[in-house]
Amino acid sequence: MARLDIANVSKLFGSTKAVDDFSITVEDGELVCLLGPSGSGKSTLLRMIGGFEKPTYGSMTIDGEEVIHLPPEKRPTGMVFQSHALWSHMNVFKNIAFGLKLRRLPKAEIERRVEAVLELVGLSGYGQRLTHQLSGGQQQRVALARSLVLEPKILLLDEPFASLDQHLRERLREEVRDIQQRLKITTLFVTHAQDEALSVADRIVVLRDGRTEQIARPAEVYREPATPFVAGFIGQMNLVSGVVADGRFGHSAFNVPAAVADGPATLAVRPEALAIAPASGAGMAHVHRVTDYGTHAMIDVELPDGERLKSMMPTADQWTPMQKVDLVPGAFALYRDNGVIYRADAALALAKPARKTRSTVHA
Amino acid sequence: MTAVSQASARPLDQGENRRRPYGLLLVAAPVLLVAWLVIWPIVSAVGRTLFQRSDEGAIEFTLDTYLFFFSDRYSLDNLTVTLWTTGMCALLLFVICLPIALYLRFSAGRLPAYVQSLAIFPMFVPSIILSYAFIRVLGPNGMVDILLNAVGLPKIRTPYLTPWGPVIGLVWDNIPLTVLILLSGLGNVSNQAIEAARDVGARWGQVLWHIILPRIGNSILVALSFSVLGIFSSFTLPYVLGPAAPEMMGPFMQRTFRDVNDPQMAITQAVITFGFCIVFGLFYVRSVARNQGK
Repeated sequence: MARLDIANVSKLFGSTKAVDDFSITVEDGELVCLLGPSGSGKSTLLRMIGGFEKPTYGSMTIDGEEVIHLPPEKRPTGMVFQSHALWSHMNVFKNIAFGLKLRRLPKAEIERRVEAVLELVGLSGYGQRLTHQLSGGQQQRVALARSLVLEPKILLLDEPFASLDQHLRERLREEVRDIQQRLKITTLFVTHAQDEALSVADRIVVLRDGRTEQIARPAEVYREPATPFVAGFIGQMNLVSGVVADGRFGHSAFNVPAAVADGPATLAVRPEALAIAPASGAGMAHVHRVTDYGTHAMIDVELPDGERLKSMMPTADQWTPMQKVDLVPGAFALYRDNGVIYRADAALALAKPARKTRSTVHA
Repeated sequence: MTAVSQASARPLDQGENRRRPYGLLLVAAPVLLVAWLVIWPIVSAVGRTLFQRSDEGAIEFTLDTYLFFFSDRYSLDNLTVTLWTTGMCALLLFVICLPIALYLRFSAGRLPAYVQSLAIFPMFVPSIILSYAFIRVLGPNGMVDILLNAVGLPKIRTPYLTPWGPVIGLVWDNIPLTVLILLSGLGNVSNQAIEAARDVGARWGQVLWHIILPRIGNSILVALSFSVLGIFSSFTLPYVLGPAAPEMMGPFMQRTFRDVNDPQMAITQAVITFGFCIVFGLFYVRSVARNQGK
């Protein structure tokens, strides 16, 4: 159990800023996901916490103690790497016991702790196996056990499931979350998979080009993204550029009420908040593609200007390609200058036929 | 149930089995060449030293030349100096090349590229040129002596024509191959494996001892086997830089064959040299087999 404070940390590689003025406080037992695309600085940030990179500016404290000048071997952190990084010349037991041996613990104590952690990760009886005799999922559990056995104050997970198949990833992330909650260990988890972040995190930090876009709870990040980038990065989002005039957001296909100052804006509406209905007249758009996922259907609709939006509907039954439809946006948000300027819930949003405006659409 | 005919139930790898002789044919030429130029001379040499024509003209089994070699002080001194030179070179190569390879593996930028070029450079210098360059630099009245004299310092005791002369030359000559093989082995040690070790508390020395060295054990064995095989039977550098007596097996064989005009004894020395080399060769084969087994 520990508290991590990161204040105004930046990291420069030459003239490139990998991390730019990052600050966060991670509370005792909290699991924070660092989420972002490749090159967003999330792994660099984790490596700085682990001591493998030195920040150019800023400070990092663990339980109030400055750790920025400590090498990795002296930090109270434990890291699980993407590639497992198991030592293939050692068996499972020796991999896990290595850190304990370096601390010169008695042999009996080492055996007790290794057996306990093997049981914790569900690998009892695997101690004498060589690492290449394990599956990818088992190897990742050994890597986790190797970190956990040292009882680190902060657990760092650097895309630990990236090399595993989807089914195994889902299972392992639930197991990791269970273990983390059982041990109440403060954890930072780097991932570029939004579903992973949404399913395990207490809070999510969305990073872009080394800068923080949003720090919030998963539901908030999903439902109330702070920037157009977060809106587009988390889940599926239709982003429609248009203009606000006279209290309405206008676009070539439809417009909605928006009580904000006039000017350009980007409307963000999730597929599940964008309903479609059979056209009563000429229709705002036509169905381009219907994809039936079993649990729901994803309808790609094409606007008159050729841009496409996605609409999630309960079934695919009543939709066919080229069918004329009207758009019925529910909850949506408007963004301007990289910030949110307006949010509307389903009740407020009423689509009306569009007035002519210059616009672009990104689905 | 569907009936499966005999023909359609044929094993799928039958075609592969049929192709096997073509693969063997591809390697037949080099195998035959090795048999002709390497295996047969070995068999012939061993046969000629063990089965000799007696004064009566009959061919009989004898160990005379081997008994002479292992009871002759001069021959044993030569064998000892060869083993000492080989061992010393192997040790020095390991001590010199491992830090170079570690530096090249874990450094980035322009400087390591220059260091690598320098480390590989001896590969492009013929041994004979290296020998005379060595004499001009470290030999009597060589460059080092001239420089020392210029600043008023006494002469150094030159390693030229001492057992250390071949050691210095052979180490310099074998640095490129050893560095390249070690570097290749270090390429298999991922940065994350090292970071994981540091993460659990290992200092640099412990990372080297517990993680890096065990992971490159095979490469060390291969590098030293290659170097030892070359050094044990080397000729040019020991011939030019080494002492007249005792001398390494290469020059010794040549002198026995040409100056003493005793081809039978020269062949015996060659067989004994081969015997030692085959031991190092077996280390190499074992290492490769173990690696492939994994």
